[in-house]
Amino acid sequence: MGGGDQPILDLVPIVRRVVGARIRDPHLVDDLVQETLARMMAARARIGDETLVPYAIVTAKNLVASHVQRQDRDRRKAHLVADPGSEPGPEDGVLGTERRQLVAEALRRLPAEERELLVAHEVQGAGTASLAAERGSTAGAIAAQLSRSRAKLRVEVLLAERTDRPPTDRCRPVLIALSSGDRRRQQRLDCAGHLLECDFCAALAPALLDRRSGGSANPEQRVRVTRDADVVAARQKGREVAAGVGFSRTDTTLVATVISELARNIVQFAERGEILVCPVEEPGRRGVMIVARDVGPGIRDLAGALTDGYSTYRGGLGLGLPGTRRLMDEFDIVSEVGKGTTVTTTKWLRDRPAARGRDL
Amino acid sequence: MTFAEPDPPQEPLRVSILSQGSYLIASIHTALNDSQLTRFQRDLIDRIGRDRARGVVIDVAALDVLDSFGSRTLRDIARAGRLRGAVTVIVGIAPDLALSMVRLGLDLDLPTALDLEEGLAHLAAATGAGVVGGAAAAGTVPR
Repeated sequence: MGGGDQPILDLVPIVRRVVGARIRDPHLVDDLVQETLARMMAARARIGDETLVPYAIVTAKNLVASHVQRQDRDRRKAHLVADPGSEPGPEDGVLGTERRQLVAEALRRLPAEERELLVAHEVQGAGTASLAAERGSTAGAIAAQLSRSRAKLRVEVLLAERTDRPPTDRCRPVLIALSSGDRRRQQRLDCAGHLLECDFCAALAPALLDRRSGGSANPEQRVRVTRDADVVAARQKGREVAAGVGFSRTDTTLVATVISELARNIVQFAERGEILVCPVEEPGRRGVMIVARDVGPGIRDLAGALTDGYSTYRGGLGLGLPGTRRLMDEFDIVSEVGKGTTVTTTKWLRDRPAARGRDL
Repeated sequence: MTFAEPDPPQEPLRVSILSQGSYLIASIHTALNDSQLTRFQRDLIDRIGRDRARGVVIDVAALDVLDSFGSRTLRDIARAGRLRGAVTVIVGIAPDLALSMVRLGLDLDLPTALDLEEGLAHLAAATGAGVVGGAAAAGTVPR
């Protein structure tokens, strides 16, 4: 195309400014700028040089607006597998066919009863009330069942896309629990632990989790820990979360120090692990919870490891676990020899009146 | 500057070691991970010999966290330095860092001073001479 593209390239800063003023996520900004430019290229022949800039600005604004709309709709319709709202393009025909085959395959894998219910509701448009009446159930129960079936269907669609099979019996229940967003069930199945061990599920999980967070800012931070540099990354993320909850600078440093100790334990003793830092809230108080989980040898002498001065490895002062326990308000450690260790620890924000009078 | 590899032999350090008269002034510029700390320790102890330093100031103002490993490393530097004839003083421990270390039960058990100036004064007293030649400062060590 040569020199004809230069005016388009000159638009980049303008378009970037227009999009950047409306969208915060830098990756998304890049995407939308690219898309604007692509449309400008396509429309180049129809636009005169003098209207190029206003045209680009309008295109960019429209793309931002339709993106926001789409996001909105995605949020509202997140439970639907098919996304009827996206504009069909030439390549979507092929993708659509493929997708339909996947969904059909996934539907076949569901139990007949669940399949019928889903099809009746999503395809034939039967309401939960009428479905409940037909089945002698309640609308609420039907809605809950539909939500569970959709979670299963999403997993089956993902699995249908793969050529390999889930390697363990645990994979499917774990994926379904992730897909449904049922935290209690996730905990009971030790989903996070499974994701560390199972590369198959670890690869599928983001697709299931992304949908749930709906692109909104998720205050929870998860850092994979396998080497030295991850320790620093983990404690810096932890500091951000703690600061976000409202901890003082000293307490954010404390939280960062605790994460540093826990993450180092993972690097030193275990093959791999992760640090999860998330804000927690209970009636009357807020805090930050740290979960350090690893797939490693486990700790044989748990009582010893929790004693000051317990010498474990090169370099430390043996203050890791006992120091952590002293600093935090809640501390829980579960270790299984040959499998791994999970430390869960919480620090509550102290300066809130509601927190006073508790065992500080 | 990224540290993508576990421990490449010659990665640039996030630390500078300057020579000031018979003293070394080591400044840590960013958060360090364990291997970087260990390398800093090795380099600094080497430099004590190479520069025939009699005193070392380690400025930790930029450290985000001083946990058990960091404390241990500083303590080892000071002890090894002592064995090689240099006095070490730690300066620049931020207030939040100090409080969290106390609560964690970490005691450096080392000479400390508020800032570089106080640190140099401490060294002057400890080494028994005001050997600081004002113009003798060297540049950042290229490593």
